[in-house]
Amino acid sequence: MRSLLVWILCSTPLSAADVSFRQEVMAVLSRGGCNQGACHGNLNGKGGFKLSLRGEDSTFDRNAILKESLGRRVDIQHPAESLLLRKATGQTPHEGGPRFSADSSEYRLLSEWIRQGCPSDPDHLPKLLKLQVSPTEKVLISPANKVQLDIKGTFSDGSTRDLAHLVTFEPTVVGLVSISPTGEVVRQNDGELTVLVRYLEQMVPVQLVFAPARAEYVKRLVSLDHPIDRLVFPPLETLRLSPSPLASDQVFVRRAYLDATGCLPTADEARGFVTDSRPDKRAKLIDRLLAKPEFADYWAQKWSDLLRNEEKALDSKGVRLFYQWIRDSIAADRPLNEFAAEIVRARGNTYENPPANLYRSLREPYGRAESIAQVFLGIRLQCAKCHNHPFDQWTQTDYHEFAAIFSKLDYRIVENNRRDMLDKHEFIGAQIVFTARDGILKHPVSGKALSPRLLGETKQLPPQSDSLDEIAEWLSRPENPFFAKVQANRVWYHLMGRGLVDPIDDFRSSNPATNEPLLKELARSFQQSGFKLKSLVRLIMTSRAYQLSASPAETNADDETRFSRAIIRPLQAEQMLDAISRVTGVSPRFESYPKGTRAGQLAAPPLTKRGKKGLEAERFLKVFGQPERLLTCECERPSDTGLVQTFQLLSGEMINGMLTQPGNRLGKLLESKQSDAEIVEELYWSALSRGPTSTELSRLSEFVAKSSDRRAALEDVVWGLINSKEFQLRR
Amino acid sequence: MLDRRALLQVGSAGLLGLSLPQMLRANPHPKARAKAVILLYQFGGPGQHETFDMKPNAPAEIRGSFKPIQTRVPGLQVCEMLPRVAEIAQHLTVVRTIQHTMGNHNSAAYYSLTGMAPSSDDQRLRDSLELFPAYGSIVDRFAPAPKGTPTFVSYPYTIRDGSISPGQHASFLGKTHNPFFFTQDPSRSDFRLPELSLPASISAERMESRKEVLQLIDSQSDLLEKSAVAQGIDESYQKAVSMLTSKEFKKAFDLSQEPKEVRDRYGRTTYGQGCLLARRLVEAGAKFVNVYFSESIGGDRGGWDTHGFNDKPQDPILKDWLLPITNDTFPTLIQDLEERGLLKDTLVVWMGEFGRSPRINKLAGRDHWPKCYPAVMAGGGVKGGYIYGASDKIGAYPAHGQCRPEDISATFFHLLGINPETEIRDKLNRPFPISRGQVIQEVIA
Repeated sequence: MRSLLVWILCSTPLSAADVSFRQEVMAVLSRGGCNQGACHGNLNGKGGFKLSLRGEDSTFDRNAILKESLGRRVDIQHPAESLLLRKATGQTPHEGGPRFSADSSEYRLLSEWIRQGCPSDPDHLPKLLKLQVSPTEKVLISPANKVQLDIKGTFSDGSTRDLAHLVTFEPTVVGLVSISPTGEVVRQNDGELTVLVRYLEQMVPVQLVFAPARAEYVKRLVSLDHPIDRLVFPPLETLRLSPSPLASDQVFVRRAYLDATGCLPTADEARGFVTDSRPDKRAKLIDRLLAKPEFADYWAQKWSDLLRNEEKALDSKGVRLFYQWIRDSIAADRPLNEFAAEIVRARGNTYENPPANLYRSLREPYGRAESIAQVFLGIRLQCAKCHNHPFDQWTQTDYHEFAAIFSKLDYRIVENNRRDMLDKHEFIGAQIVFTARDGILKHPVSGKALSPRLLGETKQLPPQSDSLDEIAEWLSRPENPFFAKVQANRVWYHLMGRGLVDPIDDFRSSNPATNEPLLKELARSFQQSGFKLKSLVRLIMTSRAYQLSASPAETNADDETRFSRAIIRPLQAEQMLDAISRVTGVSPRFESYPKGTRAGQLAAPPLTKRGKKGLEAERFLKVFGQPERLLTCECERPSDTGLVQTFQLLSGEMINGMLTQPGNRLGKLLESKQSDAEIVEELYWSALSRGPTSTELSRLSEFVAKSSDRRAALEDVVWGLINSKEFQLRR
Repeated sequence: MLDRRALLQVGSAGLLGLSLPQMLRANPHPKARAKAVILLYQFGGPGQHETFDMKPNAPAEIRGSFKPIQTRVPGLQVCEMLPRVAEIAQHLTVVRTIQHTMGNHNSAAYYSLTGMAPSSDDQRLRDSLELFPAYGSIVDRFAPAPKGTPTFVSYPYTIRDGSISPGQHASFLGKTHNPFFFTQDPSRSDFRLPELSLPASISAERMESRKEVLQLIDSQSDLLEKSAVAQGIDESYQKAVSMLTSKEFKKAFDLSQEPKEVRDRYGRTTYGQGCLLARRLVEAGAKFVNVYFSESIGGDRGGWDTHGFNDKPQDPILKDWLLPITNDTFPTLIQDLEERGLLKDTLVVWMGEFGRSPRINKLAGRDHWPKCYPAVMAGGGVKGGYIYGASDKIGAYPAHGQCRPEDISATFFHLLGINPETEIRDKLNRPFPISRGQVIQEVIA
């Protein structure tokens, strides 16, 4: 009898007036920002009140509201006295400030739910099938300054409801727009942003651009023959961004050398290019650069950075073998999907099978899963380790099932002759990476053993399969949804200075590409070429978009995302040292590398032994941001300038030594009996890939002529060249 | 357009239009009580039983062989080897009950140098840009010193246990916020910093002509005018040049300007002269100075890690090295600051990464003990002659007043006038408050 009664109570249909906890009350809490990480969604809650982060856990949240704090949070008899409402409206002091007013629909929903006795949701509550928002992208040119979002949800009972009053709006950039409670987005400042519209587990990103009128806009006809230009330039017209003109030959030759090979052109190479009068000389130069051994050096360095090629874990033999393997693959223009697949499935003795070194560095399954996702799939999965990803589709289960792919990898340490007995990161000697028979990961919440599953796939991997072979095969399939786009975007980033998706390893619906059609085209072309790096580099470098000047035109000074002008970047550590070495004619020394090795040819950052300072050149590279290769992220190479860096160039002992060495380039030039003007000319071409302007030439010749010490004066000129912005920047 | 990078990227706007950054502004920065912090970092982990939490009534294997002496502060006894510390106890707040769970030097050092708990207790915790920045870097980010002086100075070691202990630099905040760091020994007569001096062959006049050459080249392009990157480099140049030429800051490093008697009072050791230098740096305007007591965790002339390994029982090391040098330096610094009227707005903090085990082990040493250990503070807005919290009878666990390293960091930031809830973002753009702890209000004067 009693169970019958319970059954009847539970199955009472939710009347139209019944407020749903999950679909309305929690939606209101999300809307108020109550369950965010900075507020009650915090690990420790706030003010003794903790909600699940962004409403992940409705049972937890209902308990928190009902049962904790001696039930003071809700007062069913007098809903208006409930602490929940008094705090949210600021009637009782609230550290988070008032979140909504007493006459709002939010307040009415909460108080009605309390009045109804704080019911939990019945099992048959219709589920949200799809959240629909329109428009999902729009460009507004001033004076147009607002857009109304239409927000609807379809439910499992076939109904469609207006949800504008229940969803949460999250602008990815603050200060650009205001959003009304019903979804009207109004410009406060010009700029681009994504507004995430969230409801329950669903999220729709809306891409908006609020552009100024740009009255000075000048339309320039550019040829649209190149497939990249066809997609870069027309949107600039919509945004009224006047593209910058083509860069001069002097600027282009320096840029192309640095971007393709990491090195400056020699004075002769630069002069030869500038004086060449053939119309297709830029394309010809690009072909020459792609064939240079320095191309392979430079791109192998980039991949070595990402693949944790560092000496402490791999030892000095290991880094050289791994580097050589990477460099050979690039020199041979091996398809990048094969390259990736080989790394992902690699096992065995790391001396015999160098790609297995990635797993020698990444010694536990979570780190492996996170790194593989970041490097090859462009996904930052880390957030989902502890809770569902707040800005992406990935759940905690997705994370842990993906990590399970790597759970059985193990090591046999054949020998370890570490020099520093206290340093447990150090391994010197052979290791064998292999798949062990067991190694099961458990779900952190349910405690259940996990079977491996690929990201975005619904089925688990077959139980008897080799999970690493499976992921390798999946990754290298031409139709893999992530790989081609992510790698094409990476190459675009290296050449253009910013990813179409940025940061480049953070692909998610809430971080859309600034030019999706272009990204698709790059990915398509990359895939069609058989995942060849060189053809992708050629494609990008031959476009007009790549060859634009960095100097702003009429209306594009503030453009940072649409590639209407070239992006200026500081030279990287290795580029900088090699460039200085080129100009001064003095080679840096690196411990246990042959004399004459360029910084851009190092297999790995030289290790500084305990108690040693390291050689000058090695310290220089560290100061200038050579990554230690401990993160599988491009972000490990910083682009910011620090004071120590400045001191190195301004007053550093190494630079001073290179400038004053008797037999350096200056010494040779002085012996060559050239005039001051000729020497200055030569120094300019080798440092800046241009000749001196007439002002520079006359003033510097005069400066040298008047000086009592000719060599010292010329050293001062070289010092000035090295310290100039033009030298230190790629533009 | 607004500069995208200049805009904070945050979450939901509230319904009353009160967004999170506005809320943080609604919780404004507190009034600064301290202008500067000097952190005397006691690497290795000083034992509470031999310093600031003596247990004379505990059994012999717990109380150890040193006797307590009474200070002027009721309830505060210190080790008999620290008589000069006893004399200045009226300036001290002793927090007796810091607790955490990191038993390894590197993970505990990282925790105590950043206020951020590492994800695991592992000696192999590797320093990388994923990890949290040092306190001083955060101060440099939110309350920098005026131009010509670095906000954050640290010396004279990179501390390490096997591998480098994390928490000594700016990490993901960016190189701009790294400490001005050096390893030269301030007790040497030839102590000087190459960064602050031009190469011998470069006279001031020659530097001037170099600057003219540079200006000539820079004026040929529109980079300085149009590129923020170029402007950033130039700013850094201006700052470096102003430091090279700033008499004030350079003077701080010239310890020969101190009277001999003052230098002697601090002790002619690396650490002693380092403490003196800290005072001079604070006078020159630095805001956060990390003085590392030792480079290594232990040994004859190293840090506080006195396990009794290698036939080295703790007592002789404590008696001949650790306690005497502490007795010579710490009170000297406090007194010196006090005499110069600097103590009221300079917070001095003496602490390590953990304490030591209540029971003396078979090797006549004590082992790591993060479950209850002290930090000592003075000046800069904290109470004088105050004890916060109490440990149990054997100094093993907090009896009351338990706190964590993040509470200490929240207290630093609060005293420096920085809201501990201020948000920073890591390399993956994840938001973190600069401290996850609570300000220990009781210690504030």
